[in-house]
Amino acid sequence: MTGIIADIQRASVHDGPGLRTTVFFKGCPLRCSWCHNPECISPKPQTLFYPDKCIHCGGCAQGCFSGARVLCGKIMDTDTVLGEILADKDYYGTEGGVTFSGGEPLLQADFLAELTDACIASGIRCAMETSLWFFREDIFTRMQLIMADLKIWDGETHRRYTGVSNERIRENFRRLNELGIPIIARTPVIPEISQGIPEISEFLRGLENVKKYELLPYHPLGNAKLTALGMGSPSFTVPDKELMKELNQHVFIR
Amino acid sequence: MYSYADRLRAMRETKIRHTLEKRKQNGCTDLDDFGTVPLSPGYCVIPWYNSENGSFYGLDGMAENFVRVIGAHEPYIDKNEMLCGRWRDMLVNYRGDLHYMPDWLKNNLKNLEFIQKGATNQWSKRWDEQRFPYDHLKPWHVKYNITSGIDSDAHFACDYRIGFALGFGGMLEKIRKYRAVNPDKAAFYDAEERCVNAIVDFIQRHIDRLHTMIAEETDPAVRENLKTMCETCENVKLGAPGTFREVCQWTAFFNCAARIYTRDGAGFQLDTLLLPYYEKDVKDGILDDETAKFLIANLLLIDPHYYQISGVDENDRDVTNHLSYLILDAADSINISCNLTVRVHDNCDPAFIRKAVYYLFKNKNGWPRFANDEALCSGYMRTGADKKTARERIAVGCHWMCVPGREFPMNDTVKINVAKVLEEALKDMRGESDKSTEKLFALYEAHLTKAVEITAAGINHHLDHIADVTPELIMNLMMHGTLEKGEDISRCAELYTVGIDGAGLAVVADSFGALQARIENEHLLSWEDMYAALDDNFANERTRAMMQSAPRYCGGNTVSDAWAKRLTESWVRIVRAQAMPEGRQMVPGWFSWSRTIEYGSKVGATPNGRRAGEPISHGANPNPHFRQDGAVTALAGGIAAVQCGWGNTAPLQLEFDPQITVEEGGVERVTELLLSHFRQGGTLININILDGEKLLAAHRDPDLYPDLVVRVTGFTAYFASLSPAFRQLVVNRFLEGI
Repeated sequence: MTGIIADIQRASVHDGPGLRTTVFFKGCPLRCSWCHNPECISPKPQTLFYPDKCIHCGGCAQGCFSGARVLCGKIMDTDTVLGEILADKDYYGTEGGVTFSGGEPLLQADFLAELTDACIASGIRCAMETSLWFFREDIFTRMQLIMADLKIWDGETHRRYTGVSNERIRENFRRLNELGIPIIARTPVIPEISQGIPEISEFLRGLENVKKYELLPYHPLGNAKLTALGMGSPSFTVPDKELMKELNQHVFIR
Repeated sequence: MYSYADRLRAMRETKIRHTLEKRKQNGCTDLDDFGTVPLSPGYCVIPWYNSENGSFYGLDGMAENFVRVIGAHEPYIDKNEMLCGRWRDMLVNYRGDLHYMPDWLKNNLKNLEFIQKGATNQWSKRWDEQRFPYDHLKPWHVKYNITSGIDSDAHFACDYRIGFALGFGGMLEKIRKYRAVNPDKAAFYDAEERCVNAIVDFIQRHIDRLHTMIAEETDPAVRENLKTMCETCENVKLGAPGTFREVCQWTAFFNCAARIYTRDGAGFQLDTLLLPYYEKDVKDGILDDETAKFLIANLLLIDPHYYQISGVDENDRDVTNHLSYLILDAADSINISCNLTVRVHDNCDPAFIRKAVYYLFKNKNGWPRFANDEALCSGYMRTGADKKTARERIAVGCHWMCVPGREFPMNDTVKINVAKVLEEALKDMRGESDKSTEKLFALYEAHLTKAVEITAAGINHHLDHIADVTPELIMNLMMHGTLEKGEDISRCAELYTVGIDGAGLAVVADSFGALQARIENEHLLSWEDMYAALDDNFANERTRAMMQSAPRYCGGNTVSDAWAKRLTESWVRIVRAQAMPEGRQMVPGWFSWSRTIEYGSKVGATPNGRRAGEPISHGANPNPHFRQDGAVTALAGGIAAVQCGWGNTAPLQLEFDPQITVEEGGVERVTELLLSHFRQGGTLININILDGEKLLAAHRDPDLYPDLVVRVTGFTAYFASLSPAFRQLVVNRFLEGI
């Protein structure tokens, strides 16, 4: 089976415990205005263009080597992706492993299921980052950990900034909680949006398997990629330390 | 207040002040700190020359000038410290070679006039070329950019157990005893005796100064400390050290003497050798842990030698002990340029390794670093050494190991720039009609074989004559067989396993990889296009980008990774095949020191898209931007795959910005990383965990952070002491590493 993969990052330290390999699936059902991985939204291969890196050699048709034109989205089979994951098997130790991220990995659920099976058969622990727009119990139950966002509490505001309502996501949080898998819940903090973080926190506190709720300050790293994709860039600001300090009263670990 | 914490703070402040003063006196120095203190006002040495080329050599030349230089050293006593003694200057500075002369000496007209008087400038004055020329080797050294090791300073280690058992008085007795056994070696014993007496005088001057200070001191606590210092010095002046404090003080004096001689000497297995003294004193009720920590911190401050801690014994039993922990705590309390190496083995206490990594995160000062017992021990046993010997071969240098007291390895003094070797192979292939990477590799191997043969000749030249040029009069005192036979260690060592390092691995691997990928596999370029690009130094940016963007070494199973392995196999095979006389062996490794700029300046454009004169790659590390994600696991795995496997190293140099903190599992992640690299066969890991903002601010104004320490390669240095170009090198490497 094959899937479309945006990127595979080794030695990741921000996508779960230990040292991990993160596989970025291409394609996402949400359209978050602040998305920091916009190259993972479309399920098709795309070319990112970075004019600063262009050396004006005129050889675009014969291939770009300067890094100005970067193709994102590679059709890969299970064995190839597994090979990349296994490259760091020695480094995963007792905590690390692979994290499926994106985009939304469950948009390619069958491929994800096969890849998960292959990883587990090779002794690799799996985790995933998901929007929880989809629910695949058979896949979730094979994860050591699931990281999911609840971005905005109010349904209408959620729809305005992500393109979808959050009712299904909240319901899937509840269903996921029933499965007994550790969950890390997160909210990206966007100062311009009234996100209802206290309400989100209260909701998550009611779900016993949410082991940690954390806030991720918005960062503009995705903007360069948005520009490179010709998608323009949003005008959100990075939350200051005072705001983060104030909001951090709502995070928890248990 | 006179608490340990206050005193340590004051000692650190003094160290910072000294760092800045030394920079004023010496200019920038791209070297280890070596624990020197600034010169005293009026310091002056008039050297004695015994060679018509205006330098001094041999037993009498070295002994006489050692007596003069150590004799000119003022005692160094700081009331806050428990130990005394420091060094400022070494006699080889006076050999009259302006190239090696420190700034302060060049600026001292009285000395300079004397040094230049009568000098012919016809021969180098560090090595006695008049008597031991090697002109026939020099063109080859240039051709392959070989650092020959001829005239290199000592890179071996003493067995401190000899000194601890004898003391300086015992050494004098031993000299007298064997003088009678070997009457034909009178000149050797005379020289050794003069040196020991000069050390004893040096200690006596500290005692005299302490008496004066005690008489003048009004604070009772300080006076008590000075009195104990004085008593300790009295006890170790001639006697063998008996207590923990005495053994630390004895070590400090010996190290000062070894440094004054040629800047050299090496540390030892600190935790196990000092343990009996620690345990006895604790049992006798005269030592507590806080005092032991203070003494260790004081010793580390006096001399940042490379000391090894932890590891296992010959029966694979963990040697980590309570003192090992105290040493880490002591280093933390003084937090200077500490060259501690933690020896890692599966049987070692995992909590100790974790604590060592924790201090890397906490202090962000580049210490400790980590050596892999399994790879080093099994590798060295391939040279024929037994397990006990291999285990005793400890980390005591920048990237090198040594069996204390028994080995004369010249380690880390000999390098071949393989990028330069590749350049010669490329020249040869230019006229061939059928060009290929296979053909190029055959030519590369032919040149490498010649380069190794020339290097071996240089090593043998050095080993044959160094005793007549720079006999090791100080370190001989703690080697096996030297005083017994009346021979310099360079002539009577049990083991001559000489480290020889290749420099520029990544440049060569990426060059072969790019040629294979772009010319042979993808047919994007012809060989003629490639030669044209090398000739015009990649005037066509597209060609350069094409070659640079080919899959790199450490990219993870890339074409260049395969070449790096093949180059390593070839390097090991050729080095090991080179015949050496008198039981000598060469032991291959990959290391460049920090001379990547200098080595790069000697090499024209290379097929990996590197322009002429640009730096070569660092040690066994890949070229910058080896992967888009810069994955440290790919880096560690790539370097583990190019280990040479004979007990020499191919170090993994890591630079981290502390984006991951202790709380977020950073310690666990880095511990797992280093253990995994070692399980894959890695030998040595040097890690910098640096605060990026602080580093950049210190680069703009070094005086802002005179206490910032960076691990440059194997050695650590005060960032403020480095030259601007060198600081830039560290900053670039850091920015590429994160």
